[in-house]
Amino acid sequence: MSKNGTVAGMDIHGTLGKLEGAGNIFLPRKAAVLLANDDTPIEKRLTLRLEDDAPFEFSPGQFIEVSLFGYGEIPVGLASSPTRQRSFDIVVRAVGRVSKAIHGLHGGDTLHVRGPYGNGFDLDALRGKNVLIIAGGLGLAPTRSLIQYILDKRDEFKRFTLFYGTRDPNTLLFPEDLEEWRESDKVEYFETVDRATGPWKGNVGVVTTLFQKTKLEPGTKVVVCGPPIMFKFVLRELDSLAVPHQDIYLDVERRMKCGVGKCGHCQINDKYTCTDGPVFTFAELEKLPEAF
Amino acid sequence: MGKPTVAFFDFACCEGCQIEMTNLGDEAFLELLNHIDIVEFREAMSETTKEPIDIALIEGSFTREADRARLEDIRRRAKVVIAYGQCATTGGINALKNHQKDYKEFVYGHAAGMPHLASDSARPISSVIKVDYNAFGCPVSKYEVLQIISHLVHGKEPVIPDYPVCMECKRRETVCRYHEGDHCLGQVARAGCGAPCPASGIPCEACRGFVSDPNLASLKKVLREEGGLSERRAETKALMFTANETAGRPA
Amino acid sequence: MNAYFISAHDFKPFITRLIEARRVIGPVAKRNRFTFERVTRAEDLRLDYDVTILPPKKIFFPPVQDLVHFEGERYAGCIEAEPQVLLGVHFYDVKAIDMTDQLFREKFADPNYLAAREATTVVASNVQRVSDAAFWGSIGADVAPKGHDAFLTMIETGYVFETRTPKGAALLEFGRFRIAEKSEVAAADRVNAEILEKCPERIDHPAEAVAKRLWEVFGDEALWEKLAEDCFSCGSCNVICPTCYCFDVQDRWNLDQKSGARARSWDACLTQDFAQVSLGAGATENFRESRGERFRHRFMRKGAYLNKKLGGPACVGCGRCSQACTADIASPPKVINKIMGAAR
Repeated sequence: MSKNGTVAGMDIHGTLGKLEGAGNIFLPRKAAVLLANDDTPIEKRLTLRLEDDAPFEFSPGQFIEVSLFGYGEIPVGLASSPTRQRSFDIVVRAVGRVSKAIHGLHGGDTLHVRGPYGNGFDLDALRGKNVLIIAGGLGLAPTRSLIQYILDKRDEFKRFTLFYGTRDPNTLLFPEDLEEWRESDKVEYFETVDRATGPWKGNVGVVTTLFQKTKLEPGTKVVVCGPPIMFKFVLRELDSLAVPHQDIYLDVERRMKCGVGKCGHCQINDKYTCTDGPVFTFAELEKLPEAF
Repeated sequence: MGKPTVAFFDFACCEGCQIEMTNLGDEAFLELLNHIDIVEFREAMSETTKEPIDIALIEGSFTREADRARLEDIRRRAKVVIAYGQCATTGGINALKNHQKDYKEFVYGHAAGMPHLASDSARPISSVIKVDYNAFGCPVSKYEVLQIISHLVHGKEPVIPDYPVCMECKRRETVCRYHEGDHCLGQVARAGCGAPCPASGIPCEACRGFVSDPNLASLKKVLREEGGLSERRAETKALMFTANETAGRPA
Repeated sequence: MNAYFISAHDFKPFITRLIEARRVIGPVAKRNRFTFERVTRAEDLRLDYDVTILPPKKIFFPPVQDLVHFEGERYAGCIEAEPQVLLGVHFYDVKAIDMTDQLFREKFADPNYLAAREATTVVASNVQRVSDAAFWGSIGADVAPKGHDAFLTMIETGYVFETRTPKGAALLEFGRFRIAEKSEVAAADRVNAEILEKCPERIDHPAEAVAKRLWEVFGDEALWEKLAEDCFSCGSCNVICPTCYCFDVQDRWNLDQKSGARARSWDACLTQDFAQVSLGAGATENFRESRGERFRHRFMRKGAYLNKKLGGPACVGCGRCSQACTADIASPPKVINKIMGAAR
């Protein structure tokens, strides 16, 4: 027998041995909707728990594939910290077939999840450091997993600053959290809206205007998540503040259909957003011409 | 929620797309009736309705101003309007006359002056009313229509392909028409039919119209150089089902 | 590896007995081309084929495949794995199978692919007739095919059958095989070496140089837009490629509107909306919007992105894309040779 031939055959056999039962990566798990709340007119927050109360281990910044049979699957960032174990949150914006169907769910309904997938935030790199999180719009959802994590393990991190910008006061996510953060001495929280409406008394302007409110200390790790246009302006601002590119973490969005590095839709050059990301350092991303 | 009500209507067309539904066969068609209430369908029943309807499937193109009011009435009554078949989605084969000055004499000879033949250019129904979804094809793909209705029954937007027929030929491993010295429009034709024609050795005529970004300049070149068509034929080849789509496009 | 010999006279009875005992997939004629199909009669088997329309990936990764079946609250995976023999795979397609094995196995093992893969005995066969678009003689020459279970080579007096795995050796019982003479093995080696020189097309540059050059010209938008000017975005070059494996996933209900399936189907990065995402309120963002960007992605994928992981280019030189592209712009030898020669 040739060494090559035997090894190839055995490998496949060995792998398949692990595929029985839970090994099928396309088979989702059932999750119960504990709570469904319309945070904004187009964004629904769901609090989920795996069926049978099975433990769900994940890391901040990871995502899951959420599905309703017949409607399909979508990737959604986990919006709560694993430190709050009993359940997990997601926020779904109604943009397509699956997300619109998910908007019809109520507490007590079930849906299906696969994952967690993706690399998540590099907690080891953030620990012991100053952390600034910049979230725009729906970008607050995946970063909330890190925000909660830092708040829950506050001693492990140094100065913690959070910028949150959104279109107008009607599109603010997690209203209870915002209340808490505004009052909290654990986080220096700054918020802004592009357009003020109603009784809004806070800052008006794009998220970069918040840089005037505080001074960024050297050595601060910066986490950015938001729409593509926001990346552009925030990165320009961070460059003017001379933040090293390896200290900037970007949580990017692509069409992560399978979540497991196979279907090909989320490629950025030679990287798969779903398995190599979705969190990349700016130093990594700027080497990828397809990233911006 | 009760079963959604579904009604078929027709304008300038052959009603072949409605017939296509009856070609589903007993089993599929009768099972479908467990999930929808067909309230008007003159191919299969005599009842009609003036009531509000959930899903209106409108066959045929708009060619007479006199039809406007009826279309608007259907739109007012229907929650979802589907342009049903190629005449309705793009004007289809009827739109050929839009580019032919003497079509009436050509087709009807000395009877061309008869009043019931008076009509304007053939337009998609979307030129008169808002259309929610398109069921493309001449005729429609009955299996695709089943999927469209199935999705609407569940409140899901139908999935309509926007890639060329070539993909479907490859998926079923059809010998390319060009490899048998023939020509084909599959490169620019909208898929969703399952590509039955090339599989039977017949070129695709793009009866579902074009994909949203067809490379027509390249098509002309390939029809001429690989398909062996004359300059003029290469120019007009794709017109049969896409006369309204082709007109005004840079080719 | 053991080498056996079967005479030309005994070969057909071997195939007949194999077909009786096992499910056999092999090259058969379809109009003026060839395809891998279930073989039910030995005379249908066409080991003299040049190239098949679709590569054998369709055996492990079908064009449309259900992943999950559901009915009401219940659901289950649908992994099918019928034991079968895939007979008559050319060495370049074996290389491609090695690549998809690795890609489907890495990180998250794809159960549907691997189940079919494991259930299949792959018997390679020598190239008897060269396709007019082939360039396997000059690409990835240092990548050896290895995922097959046996290799069948036609020589003057019969066939040399080299077994590489127990799965391959298990087929010996169906034919009158004897241990091959040294001279017969040498003859087989000669047949397989000589054919490499017979390709009508070639890429005259080492894989590393091509990869380097592709990165160099990545930003040359004018070059890519020019190369892709006639592109139909039809995806043919993708789906017929033995190393392409992108897919779309869609759910559907059955007629009863209660049960249904989640299915994947071959997708193509050349198609217009492959990298498009919805942003809400009808807005979309297409991360590869132009024909040139999509065309470039395929060449980067085949010639640069995967080289390190696979130990060579993700192209095996089968020439299927050159043939499938009606606009005649997909041929890797033509494009790569042009890019390599482009002014620096």
